[in-house]
Amino acid sequence: MSKIAMILRKAPYGDINAAEAVRHALGAVSDDMEVSLILVDGGVLLTRKGQDDTGTGFTNLETSLKDCKEMGVEVVADNLSLIEHGLKEEDVVDGVKLTDEDAIAAILKEAEKTMIF
Amino acid sequence: MLVIIKSAPDTPEGRRGVKLARHMSADIVLLQNGVYFIQKEKLEDLSFYRTVYVLEEDRRLRGLKDNGNYKNIKNINYNSLVDLMGGSDKVVGMF
Amino acid sequence: MAKTFTLYLSTSPYSSENTLSAIRIAEASLNKGHSVNLIAPADGIYCFLKKQKAKGITNAEEEFSRLIQKGLKVYL
Repeated sequence: MSKIAMILRKAPYGDINAAEAVRHALGAVSDDMEVSLILVDGGVLLTRKGQDDTGTGFTNLETSLKDCKEMGVEVVADNLSLIEHGLKEEDVVDGVKLTDEDAIAAILKEAEKTMIF
Repeated sequence: MLVIIKSAPDTPEGRRGVKLARHMSADIVLLQNGVYFIQKEKLEDLSFYRTVYVLEEDRRLRGLKDNGNYKNIKNINYNSLVDLMGGSDKVVGMF
Repeated sequence: MAKTFTLYLSTSPYSSENTLSAIRIAEASLNKGHSVNLIAPADGIYCFLKKQKAKGITNAEEEFSRLIQKGLKVYL
């Protein structure tokens, strides 16, 4: 089974990167690839609980992130980035692994391909 | 004077916007990723500013809670944003 | 008192949140009886192409067409 890593560096909604990252993660996992979605920098803001898209016309990316989890995507968030962005463990969607740079490096080494958003 | 900020706190644009607003004693409007400025550890800074208006729809979209503890932070919708822009002598942005 | 708002939208329709902000601000202004100009240079022109198929994000063609009916003036 081929392994792919996707790195999201940007906060959700302000630009298209977060939506594209989860879309491609879902696409890859549906295509039987092993997918790791790595959230760093502003990307960790995707994990915040309670996103409410009412009236905005946006796809709710918290829901999409949960879909990724359910479909078997490994979702990891860089702990330092979480701290920098003021997120505590209890703010984060269940099932997201909080991790450090060494663990992220290990995932990237193992993956055959990496996509960056 | 009104400074509108759409960029996140971790961007040069966002930081420039709040810095300018502070120097000009301007009110601030936060929308899009700019709403992340109301997060806990950034609020300390915001208390130095005049009124900080937060576009509620964009705040809710990102799962950020309302912070009623700070008197100078006010929630607005698009209607009140238009009133603010129309009532200001000058509107700067969006950063 | 009715005023004139002029918005400047130079980004493509689906790569940022600017499209939504411009639509919402324009609509709120029009509803309040203000006049609204929208200047769309550079990639902003892509907001006004026909046959856009966007879903899960505000469809620029549909929304701007609606606003033009309400009196929005667009300059490409």
